[in-house]
Amino acid sequence: MKAVEDNPDGVSRADIVVGIPSYNEAHSISIPTQQSDRGLSKYFTDRSAVRINCDNNSPDGTRNAFMETPTDNPKIYISTPEGVKGKGNNLRNLFEKVVELSAEAVLVVDADVESISPQWIRNLCDPLFENFQFVTPLYVRHKYDRMIANHVAYPLTRALYGRRVRQPIGGEFGFSGELARTYLESDSWTEEVENFGIDIWMTSIAMISRVQVIQSFLGRPKIHHLADQEAGPIPLFNDVVGTIFGLMCRYENFWREVKWSRPTAVYGFGTELEVPPPVHVDLDSAWERFRSGISTHWPLYCEFLHSEVSAKLEEVAGLTRETFEFPAALWAKVLYDFAWAYKKRIAPEDVLLSSLIPLYHGKTLSFVLETEAMNTQQVEEMIEDQCLQFEKAKPYLMERWFSE
Amino acid sequence: MPKILIVDDEEGIRMLYSMELEDEGYEVVTLPDGKDLLQVIRKEKPDCLVLDIKMREYNGLDLLQEVRKKHYDLPVILNSAYSSFKVDLKAVAADYYVVKSSDLSELKAKLKVVLETRIPPEQ
Repeated sequence: MKAVEDNPDGVSRADIVVGIPSYNEAHSISIPTQQSDRGLSKYFTDRSAVRINCDNNSPDGTRNAFMETPTDNPKIYISTPEGVKGKGNNLRNLFEKVVELSAEAVLVVDADVESISPQWIRNLCDPLFENFQFVTPLYVRHKYDRMIANHVAYPLTRALYGRRVRQPIGGEFGFSGELARTYLESDSWTEEVENFGIDIWMTSIAMISRVQVIQSFLGRPKIHHLADQEAGPIPLFNDVVGTIFGLMCRYENFWREVKWSRPTAVYGFGTELEVPPPVHVDLDSAWERFRSGISTHWPLYCEFLHSEVSAKLEEVAGLTRETFEFPAALWAKVLYDFAWAYKKRIAPEDVLLSSLIPLYHGKTLSFVLETEAMNTQQVEEMIEDQCLQFEKAKPYLMERWFSE
Repeated sequence: MPKILIVDDEEGIRMLYSMELEDEGYEVVTLPDGKDLLQVIRKEKPDCLVLDIKMREYNGLDLLQEVRKKHYDLPVILNSAYSSFKVDLKAVAADYYVVKSSDLSELKAKLKVVLETRIPPEQ
């Protein structure tokens, strides 16, 4: 797909590639560019390396900001054709270039990440030279940062594919050149994967490919722009959930054999933690979106929610805001029913996924109310309990999915 | 008969666990510390490792990282007198974390789960 390539040093081979996907990140891309360069120069002096900015023809000057950042290691700029956007398309271009360069290890870091340090590069890359093929980050995030990971992506991928990967859509990854080729040649690319679905797709494909996955402790909380959350979660939500449901349909013979979950390995050290910056959740808006959305979409819900689930949901919808609670076991069955409805094409994909958003707002509201007074560790334990509810409810999913 | 490898520096714990788990039908192998752990795993091919954390010369969390590099899918249950190590992110590489107690019912329940769901080692 590559349409534009600027390779001023004529790099034709590299052991390590650091990919930085972007769209309009001129203001921030120099931070990951410089920090990754320092990491490569400090920890991987005996390896050839290159940094690649994979962009969408950003009109804000991202290309110049990247290419003009002073670095020791060479840089390559690649871009999708004009008019083609999406993080997934950027990474598809990256995979293509990685295969061309015969790279052994590939790292991806977000272009907007401010807290990246050279240590991140070491911790994401080192395990790739020790038989691991896919590295996900393990950093402390504020309890309300990226709640879609806590309530959808983590519990679903864990219950489906049987691996506990705490940040399956973290944005920072490490993977082998071999896995990059697997991604490039996969026939499961969809429009959602070409956009924000790419992170969960990469994690899921790694699990399904049964490669050795490791979580690497990065030592500092992820600090980045929260633009996608402030603008509302709709594109991100639909891409992530659509990708998960799409993979469920494609790989049903894999996940039907998976019972409970297994841990992954961990790299690095994990007790001295910095406190992540707070994330504010607008509870009034979440409550309003839940209440109005549930009445708007109720006729659609009744077409596919199991009768016991819809009865419980009706009960939850009748609670006052002060006593509001969306139980984890119910949330698991709601998501499983939506996945089944996706498979059965009960409604157009975008209509179905958008109708899940009000319930997601209800779940996040309930989570905030329950955890306001909790510290990070207590919240982590609660999320682990929620994951167990998803694993316990899996026979319910199997029953509906394979017999109805 | 599933084989359980117990690593604990307290002799009393090793004896108690051996007796109780053998009564449950498991074959039990014990080690007093982490010395030679990887070699013993290679030789004995246990179905599950029950690993103490705070041992005199070894830290079970560090041993766990070494074990995972070589034996990615070996079920591991961390077994400590302290619940505080749960906070350490290294502990997430274990299948379960069980706080030591004279009543072994939780440990036995977790053993049952990990053995039921374990992935057979590659030949």
